[in-house]
Amino acid sequence: MIAAIATLLLCQLLGEGIHLLSGLPLPGPVIGMFLLLGWLLLRPGERPGLVQVSAWLTAHLSVMFVPAAVGLIEEGPVLATNGVAIIVATLASTLLTMAVTALVFRWALARTERGA
Amino acid sequence: MSSIWHALQATPLFWLAVTLLVFEGADRLSKRSNRHPLCHPVLTATPMLIGILLATRTPYPVYTQNTAMLGFLLGPATVGLAVPLWRNRALVRRAAGPLLLALFAGSLTAILSVTGIVWAFGGSAQILATVAPRSVTTPVAMALASQLGGIPALAAVVVLIAGVFGAMVASPLLNLMRIEDYRVRGFAAGVAAHGIGMARAFQVSELGGTFAGVGMALNAAMTALLLTLWALL
Repeated sequence: MIAAIATLLLCQLLGEGIHLLSGLPLPGPVIGMFLLLGWLLLRPGERPGLVQVSAWLTAHLSVMFVPAAVGLIEEGPVLATNGVAIIVATLASTLLTMAVTALVFRWALARTERGA
Repeated sequence: MSSIWHALQATPLFWLAVTLLVFEGADRLSKRSNRHPLCHPVLTATPMLIGILLATRTPYPVYTQNTAMLGFLLGPATVGLAVPLWRNRALVRRAAGPLLLALFAGSLTAILSVTGIVWAFGGSAQILATVAPRSVTTPVAMALASQLGGIPALAAVVVLIAGVFGAMVASPLLNLMRIEDYRVRGFAAGVAAHGIGMARAFQVSELGGTFAGVGMALNAAMTALLLTLWALL
């Protein structure tokens, strides 16, 4: 358990370090995610602790970003001028993204599985 | 009495307790609605907490400072997204080519469509940077928005709206398109509507939910890479 938490924090720490050193806009935790994936693929074995801790974190993501969402309290003026555009764009983009992803995936699967 | 209030209300103890209590109430409401996307706990908890801050005249910086612990967990949670990818590596490997192609197409569509529409409405660079990561899981979207010069709080809400809407339209849209393969249905829901889409996919099928989880994690990485490239150009 502690080892798993330490692993996650260490990957994030390395990710933040790489982020600062490289100056890339890629966020530290995302770099940390790649580092952890690489580490897991290179060192085979069961990782019950890591599975448990990361599943717990993912299951409770919602509560973690509530304080950030409450930050909307300070964004009244931005919402008043851009609210409609943001909502229209978000809804349309969600529909389009889902449709394009599904169509491309189905098309490519059919091609490869017919060939196999 | 008022001195006790003043001593307590500027502490993490007070605001964490309030936030967790409100969230728990919101979560029960969501459970009672059989997890309807419109009753997503963040959607109900956020206005309640804003109401409490306004009623108690608490400045937002005091609140955010005292609930920083919750936000801190977003970092390790993001790193942990690697774990489901690793666990499902066999599934991912079997469909790797089509999956990556669909991921690339979906991620690019998400970024271009949302920024294109906001741009057409005359949105500023700050608003474009806020909405660009709208289809990825919240912690990554907030980090990307702040890296690109957007507003993280607004990014969190945009992502939430995308997730709720995506979860609501996934079944009707994919039925209309006659997509029958649960791998495709789940993956599309995860790429377009991240964790909320994934939760919805798991309600329908285990295989779909797994692919939605894979789609969510891969899209966090793909969108981060594409936006990084974009920022560098």
